[in-house]
Amino acid sequence: MIHKVLIANRGEIAVRIIRTCREMGIKTVSVYSTADRDAMHVRMADQAVCIGPPPGVDSYLNVPAILSAIEITDSDAVHPGYGFLAENPPFAEICANYGVRFIGPSSEAIRLMGDKIEARRAVQKVKVPVVPGSDGAVTEEEEGLRVAKEIGFPVIVKAAAGGGGRGMKIVHSPASFINAFLTAQSEALSAFGVPDVYIEKYFDNARHVEVQVMGDRHGNVVHLGDRDCSIQRRHQKLIEESPAPALPARVRNRMWKAAVDAAVGVNYDSVGTVEFLYVPDGEFHFLEMNTRIQVEHTVTEMVTGIDIVREQIRIADGKKLRYEQKDVPLRGHAIEVRINAEDPETFLPFPGPIRTCIFPGGFGVRVDTAIYPGYVVPSTYDSLLGKLIVHGDDRNEAIMRMRRALDEVRIEGVRTTVPFHKKMMVNSDFVEARLSTNFLEKNRP
Amino acid sequence: MNLKEIREILELLKGSDVSEFELGRGDTVLKLRRGPANAPVLLPPVPPAPAPPARAAEEPPAAASVPPKPTYKEILSPIVGTFYRSPAPDAAPFVEVGTRVVKGQVLCIVEAMKIMNQIESDTTGTISAIIVENAQPVAYGQALFHITPE
Repeated sequence: MIHKVLIANRGEIAVRIIRTCREMGIKTVSVYSTADRDAMHVRMADQAVCIGPPPGVDSYLNVPAILSAIEITDSDAVHPGYGFLAENPPFAEICANYGVRFIGPSSEAIRLMGDKIEARRAVQKVKVPVVPGSDGAVTEEEEGLRVAKEIGFPVIVKAAAGGGGRGMKIVHSPASFINAFLTAQSEALSAFGVPDVYIEKYFDNARHVEVQVMGDRHGNVVHLGDRDCSIQRRHQKLIEESPAPALPARVRNRMWKAAVDAAVGVNYDSVGTVEFLYVPDGEFHFLEMNTRIQVEHTVTEMVTGIDIVREQIRIADGKKLRYEQKDVPLRGHAIEVRINAEDPETFLPFPGPIRTCIFPGGFGVRVDTAIYPGYVVPSTYDSLLGKLIVHGDDRNEAIMRMRRALDEVRIEGVRTTVPFHKKMMVNSDFVEARLSTNFLEKNRP
Repeated sequence: MNLKEIREILELLKGSDVSEFELGRGDTVLKLRRGPANAPVLLPPVPPAPAPPARAAEEPPAAASVPPKPTYKEILSPIVGTFYRSPAPDAAPFVEVGTRVVKGQVLCIVEAMKIMNQIESDTTGTISAIIVENAQPVAYGQALFHITPE
């Protein structure tokens, strides 16, 4: 029985986790850097421990400080949230060695899926289609060029230790390949410590569709439907929705099955997401698997009515899944917009003090945020102010509800991306579900 | 340097009017000062500093026009852990209120995951307050001691 959870994270996800722990009667411990003394997650937890100065490496990524905080508070579990240490295999392993439950999958699963080359191999073994690409790492640029020509341009060179949109180079023609390849290798080395890269076909007009999966420690795995996260800027998601619109039923069912097969194939024992690229009227291909809870887990919660954090904690506690696939409801349509402290045109970050902060409410509206009037958004961390999520009976109703909800938002003191989202909700390509990962390059809404 | 030798030296000094005496042998230093309230203190050899030195912070200035001159420096914990005043459970504490300390002197231990981190002073002065009780947990930046600087 888990009694006390230390949340090794900050911001809205820390608040999110604290809320579910409270409902489950579990005590909570927050950790914080000196920049987050006044943060909401610090005030909401039962206990809070300052673990270091502002830089992530000295605080939220500081494993010894976090382990020490676990020790002095007698916590018996740790929730890593997303980002920071959520997909850090040594951290998960150290927790296991210390007898602290890590609320996430095993360190082996994290390690396997964290190596993007190994992940491709692992899912290929269970017949999941992958993006056409190199068979493993490519070390020499001449060989890379040969492989790229075989695959067919455009291609994308990816860091094996990357993921989440980082460490990727798109190459459109053979002439620019060698330079891009060498740059990708040295960037991979400096960003991730490992120069290994692999090559995949690059689909210009594809959609990013992902499937939420959930597995327990007894071998049971279910999916919780899919999401479309095509609206991205520099590989960072801005808008997410569930279910993915305009997907043929045949494709959707096969994608669900592939996601579950992938999770079963790696003995996945927590909540995770299998990401695919869907080429409209064509095929879907495995991209990568995220072995953590994601920012956009909320839209899945709205259509299924299932508290994903609660299920994560139950699974970590050794309990069996209480849903069979046929018991997972999928009802209506949900959309999430990420409200960032950024200029709505240039997306440059604009941290600072929040003077006014009014969020919408009412039927079918959910807000996950950690900001409040008087709070100073620090410049050291990501710019996410909050997530605005709506649910409707269908996609049209969800879009109308999002327009209504966005109109109610009043945030003053920092610039926000609310005006951008308002434009998106009336953009005809978005409304008619003509989505793709290069949406923003094609349309400046 | 053993206890017999130290006793002999103390005997020698008793009758004299020497007020300060320092003897170095190898990496051990014996410093004696005759003065109010101070017993002779054998300083331990300075260890190769495995733990980061404690940060000292000034008292935050008052909101009014001229901030009052701070009367003490805070020694803050540089790590999360458990605060111990002595090197071992049955040993004497490193310092007490009133102890004169020099920069680099070990003031306490903060234990984190079975590693005993020695926390050093970055100020020369006198301990004016001990803020945390023995065996209590401490967080990063938490005040441990007040030192009146010289």
